[in-house]
Amino acid sequence: MTTRNMTRAAALGLLALAACTQRKINPEPVTVMRNGERVPDSEAKIAEARDRAAGDQARTTYTRDSIMAAAMTGCTPDVCAAVTRGEVALGMNEAQLMAATRTTPTAWSVRRSGDAAIYTSAIQNESPRDMVSAVALVQVQNGRVASYAYNEPSGMRIVQKAGDASAAARATATGNALVQQGDELVASGNASLALARYDQASVLLPNDPMLQYRIATLLDQQLRPIEALMRYKRFLHQLELERINAVGDAYAKQAAAIAHAKERIIVLEKR
Amino acid sequence: MAKFSFTRLTARGALIALVAAAAACSPKQVNRIDPAAVTDLSGRWNDTDSRLVANELIKQSLDGPWLKRFSDSHGGAAPTVLVGGFSNKTYEHIAVGTFLNDLERAFTNSGAVQVMAGGTARDQIRDERADQQTNANAATRAKLANETGARYMLQGEIQAIEDSEGKEKVVFYQIDATMVDMESNAKVWIGQHKIKKYVLRKRVGL
Repeated sequence: MTTRNMTRAAALGLLALAACTQRKINPEPVTVMRNGERVPDSEAKIAEARDRAAGDQARTTYTRDSIMAAAMTGCTPDVCAAVTRGEVALGMNEAQLMAATRTTPTAWSVRRSGDAAIYTSAIQNESPRDMVSAVALVQVQNGRVASYAYNEPSGMRIVQKAGDASAAARATATGNALVQQGDELVASGNASLALARYDQASVLLPNDPMLQYRIATLLDQQLRPIEALMRYKRFLHQLELERINAVGDAYAKQAAAIAHAKERIIVLEKR
Repeated sequence: MAKFSFTRLTARGALIALVAAAAACSPKQVNRIDPAAVTDLSGRWNDTDSRLVANELIKQSLDGPWLKRFSDSHGGAAPTVLVGGFSNKTYEHIAVGTFLNDLERAFTNSGAVQVMAGGTARDQIRDERADQQTNANAATRAKLANETGARYMLQGEIQAIEDSEGKEKVVFYQIDATMVDMESNAKVWIGQHKIKKYVLRKRVGL
């Protein structure tokens, strides 16, 4: 065999080897869609969902109507008005609670113990809501709502007496929650965010002297003397008003804060 | 010799001109075909992929437990959904509106989900409503600040992985859709569809 023939044979061999080791993707075992085939439409699925939704909605509407009829039968004017507004109120019975939240029994998980019952959401993260907020928990005593709690952005707000449900009480509860958040932020060293929380709270609690004192000390620490001075003065002014109103011994309890405020006013005014 | 070359050149030129003329005269063929027909030409994203994604997301979303959970806790009401951003993270142009509109249509026609207008469509409606406050009869005026707030937002993304060697190419698309609670940010439903394509470019004549 000549050298040329040997080279040819080797090249042929390499070619054959390359052909044998060629990677092959075999798409056959899986479903393959080829040109000309049809993509099924989703009309059947939509129709099935439509029938199911219509059936569910009809059943739920019937249940809700029955609950509403039971709720409005023999209710006191206040409770009737609350049900119509869609707001939970103390003294409601179970049907009125559901009517006010526009829910059915499927929305609630009920734990009963003697004459008491606790209503909570049956589905996680899907609390029943009334016009005010998401209702986290309702305590029923002898078939009547004794207290309830809202899950609000500022935290849990509990309504135990009629006054707690008023707009003013709601603002006070929200303001107090913001003050608490501000205190926690101060403790964790985030003074600027704490100040923002206190500022929000001061809109809701305009007559709270201790809130003014908190804001004043924070501003003082942040080397903002003009604003701090104003807040210290406001704190003392509100305390004077409180003293005139003679509310218990609040003035005596705030003695240290008063002394500190007066001292800082002298220092800041001298600058 | 020179004469022979000239004749041969002329013959070749005539042949090329004839072929070009024949190509120019061949009639264009346009046929209307079934929109549901699979027509893969280049191997890139096409209408078939869009339909497959729409079908799968419709099935997954309408069968998902999130609908019943919402309905049970809200006295049978249908959840309100706003279609948000659907980002295309592939190198191809993918018209996401085709399968999103299919999904919106399925939601609305099934009655199981209430779809709210968003984006530019909503802006257009708000402009018109504002205009009605000045120009429309009081009895027929659409009221301001009476929109229904959407409880959920549908968001999603498309990603692609491509692998090729020689005449072969594999493209993998993954489409993820998520329903997010607007208040809590909780993801109440996640839909997903995957498409894998094997493209083999055959040599002409083989």
